[in-house]
Amino acid sequence: MDVINALLIPILDLKLLGLIGLGTFAGIYVGAIPGLSVTMAVSILISFTFSWAVYPAIALMIGIYMGGVYGGSRTAILLNIPGAPSAIATAMDGFPMAKKGLAGEAIGIVTVVSFLGGFIGILALAIFAPLLADFAISFQPRDYMMLAVLGILLVGSLSEGSLVKGIFAGALGIAIGAVGMDPLTYTERFTFGTSGLRSGVSFVAVMIGMFGISEGLMQLHTVNTAAVKQKISSIIPSWSQVRKHIPLGMQTSSIGTVIGALPGTGGDIAALIAYDHATRVTKNPEVPFGQGAIEGLVAPETANNAAVGGAFIPMLTLGIPGDAVTAIMIGALFIHGLNPGPMLMVDQPNMFWFIVSALALANCFMLIFGLTGIRVFVKIVELPRAVLLPAILLLSIVGAYAVNNSVNDVYWMLGFGVFGYFMKLYGYPLGPVILGVILSRLLDDNWRRAIISDQESLWMLLKGTLASPLSLVLFVSVILIFVSKTPLWGMIFRKRTA
Amino acid sequence: MLMKSVIGALVALGLGVVPALAEYPAKEIKGIIQWGAGGSTDTVARAITPHAQAVLGGTIVMQNVTGGVGAIGLNQVANDAADGYSILFGAENPLLYKVMGLGDKDYSDFVPVNIIARGVPILVANVDAPFNTFPEMVAYINANPKAVKFGSTGPGGLPSVVTAMINSKTPLDVTFVPYDGDGPALTALQGKAIDVMPAVLGAAIEGIRGGTMKPLAMFDIEPSPQLPDVPTIVSTNPEFAEMLPWGPFFGVFVKNGTPDDVVAKLTAAYAEAATHPDFVALIDGRGFKMLSLAGAEAEEFLTGWQSTTSWLIHEAGMTKASPEDFGIVKP
Amino acid sequence: MQTKQPKGLGQPRRPGELVFNLLMVLGSLYLLWSAYGISGFEALSAPGAVPMVTTAVMLLCTGLIFLETLRKSKITAEKLERDILPMPVIVTILAITGYALALKPLGFLPTSFLFLTGLIRYLAKYSLARSALLALLMVAGIYLLFRIVFTVLMPPGIVPEAEVIAWVKSLFVARGN
Repeated sequence: MDVINALLIPILDLKLLGLIGLGTFAGIYVGAIPGLSVTMAVSILISFTFSWAVYPAIALMIGIYMGGVYGGSRTAILLNIPGAPSAIATAMDGFPMAKKGLAGEAIGIVTVVSFLGGFIGILALAIFAPLLADFAISFQPRDYMMLAVLGILLVGSLSEGSLVKGIFAGALGIAIGAVGMDPLTYTERFTFGTSGLRSGVSFVAVMIGMFGISEGLMQLHTVNTAAVKQKISSIIPSWSQVRKHIPLGMQTSSIGTVIGALPGTGGDIAALIAYDHATRVTKNPEVPFGQGAIEGLVAPETANNAAVGGAFIPMLTLGIPGDAVTAIMIGALFIHGLNPGPMLMVDQPNMFWFIVSALALANCFMLIFGLTGIRVFVKIVELPRAVLLPAILLLSIVGAYAVNNSVNDVYWMLGFGVFGYFMKLYGYPLGPVILGVILSRLLDDNWRRAIISDQESLWMLLKGTLASPLSLVLFVSVILIFVSKTPLWGMIFRKRTA
Repeated sequence: MLMKSVIGALVALGLGVVPALAEYPAKEIKGIIQWGAGGSTDTVARAITPHAQAVLGGTIVMQNVTGGVGAIGLNQVANDAADGYSILFGAENPLLYKVMGLGDKDYSDFVPVNIIARGVPILVANVDAPFNTFPEMVAYINANPKAVKFGSTGPGGLPSVVTAMINSKTPLDVTFVPYDGDGPALTALQGKAIDVMPAVLGAAIEGIRGGTMKPLAMFDIEPSPQLPDVPTIVSTNPEFAEMLPWGPFFGVFVKNGTPDDVVAKLTAAYAEAATHPDFVALIDGRGFKMLSLAGAEAEEFLTGWQSTTSWLIHEAGMTKASPEDFGIVKP
Repeated sequence: MQTKQPKGLGQPRRPGELVFNLLMVLGSLYLLWSAYGISGFEALSAPGAVPMVTTAVMLLCTGLIFLETLRKSKITAEKLERDILPMPVIVTILAITGYALALKPLGFLPTSFLFLTGLIRYLAKYSLARSALLALLMVAGIYLLFRIVFTVLMPPGIVPEAEVIAWVKSLFVARGN
């Protein structure tokens, strides 16, 4: 009975319901605008909701979180600028769809599958939270390392044309991610003696530069041709279309939930690994991946929304944040006089069910707000390019600046924009660079932890891997996926599909 | 140009109509937090500031400026004007920047507005560890060299200082596994990736209460009121008493040269905010010790902390330069 | 030769491609040297270990790419100034650089306004008034969202915006009382 009462709190209280709705609506825009992040919005809300009671404060934050993770897909599809890192994989097939005039359809399907993913994540939180939390914290450094390697193998599917160029781009990304003071030993890496590089290169600046600026510069070649007319007839996807993608969506939602629940990995990595999974299990996509495959939207968008529910799993059961946003929410709970930790479920079971219920409501609001107003959004890309491009550039600059309030980041964004522009011209894929940057620390930090834990011995590391069931499963997956992606196999496969 | 003169006229008008604006704070104050959102410094800064705002009658816009072990945020405030419109929420790290070669500025370039609170170090172990007390741990490590994995968080951080304290009394042969903060390290401890972790009580307290990690020793002279059953290190190993009490701290700072009346206003605001019952409850609940020091008391606290810690880690071989080079006297 | 190469290599070399790929080789070499400088061959767990492996991979890949480029046909109908760096691209890059340079001294509002007006006028060839009006609307939108709603502090430069905001707020407070 208590559970049902707690679940009903946000539904029966109109004020809470309104706050969740408002938060979700605002979150979609926070997520869509590069440079504004959910992390930032939730931090601001801590001060803003300081004098409120705890339920309304959490309700608003949850709305922003849910809406924000979804909203990142908007600009990824329309402008090739992922509004948030978790929407990077979405840009890879979403933007090609917009180029064909199918932006409305892309946003429509993304909205529906985000709802599906969000729902599965919340369900997992409600039913399996303690179980999944124990599983998630049992990940050892070597397991995280192998997870990063799994992600890096995605380079194989992101390298249109030249695998060698793709591998170069991925390695470059890992190197970019290493720039700055190493957080484990405070050794300077690739700083070339300048103090400005000590804090590293802002990841958002690299992302906006490589995706947004380089695409913007590319479009300047054809600045005076008319923009592609967007079809807006088929925005809400048909049931048969949705049903077709449910099996894949269920798999990628599970991936998203688990990766979201892992402390130290969030929606961005979940989306990338899910995308990779989709490229492997989809035998015959109607459109090839990278050119507007629906599966390339379904996988990352289910996964990143499922990761929201996943991130709450260790937070609510153990007081361990699943990602940056839940870390701030732990701080918020402290400020409101609660003590998130293993005892929260015992002392404050209502809070758990309240959050489950609020998340479910936010997910429904996301579906409603997501499906309305698509037409207006889509119209944006039909503006004359000569007006739209300067606006996008300004938004990109402001976005890069806003992350750290640093003009240096604007230079980085421009530098990577111009660099990415040349890479595009000369046939290098850009996706692997971002992939490398995202996975760099996960790979590097955990490699070092793993090898240190095993006394600097590769032999002991291998023995440890084979002795643990979880590590063994990951290890075998890495080997299998690697073999399936060796250049020879890749070349044969590509020739057949081409 | 037109816009500029219009705005200029508006401002002139505004200043004319509302003369009270000339008083501090006449506009939003920028508050730079050295560490990331969700961390202890962030939580404490965001929890105290609304109370201070109420006293001050102005708005403080909080921003996390992270990187370079906090040096990026510190330098940003140091490079702004000394007018009290840019304030720093910092932790203990800047006091070690000089000896660690991380920067050439520390709190001697700032005026402390309030040293809010101090954390208490605690040694925790994962629940399966084959020892329950500090002496048992020492015995186990001596019997099994390199087998025990200690979490660490980079030179100069709390774990490295506590480890240096332990090593200065009873050298231990263990394996150090590096993490990028005590949060991730404590998570790894619960996942059995590491065995022992020196952490700040606030980060470990809920895990200890919930039984997901076990406390070995409190690194303080007296037991903590939050966990009275956890033995202090002094109760088993009195030789540690000379280095204690020691702990990381949080404070509010403005740049040197800030007008005295502004410093006085900020000091009064934060001193009053630190007495607010909600904030006191937060500090107690998270296992911190309230200090709320300002003026000469705060300066003395900073100097003492810098001297003890710099020499401790210097003798442990973790520094890039001797504290002597910067005029830091040996305790 | 051409028939043996995999698909895609048959295309002729683009203008500047050889230079770019050569720069990539040299850049990778420099980064590898820099990665070696981090910690040398100290230990498998050293902070320089992963950077050394990645930069070595980069060097290997760029080497292969460079050799591949050398084998490509030099004959192409493309021109550097038309297909690689047309005027609008150069102007835009310069405009962004100018923006970054002017942001701190001039402030967010005037810099953004000038940037948008200039770029819209240049790219869309609208009249100055129309470009300026569009720019004004966009800057106002971005300012409201970033500065007012999300309290991101943009460099004020010559515009005393914080004072203006405080003044506007004080008006509301005064009325509220």
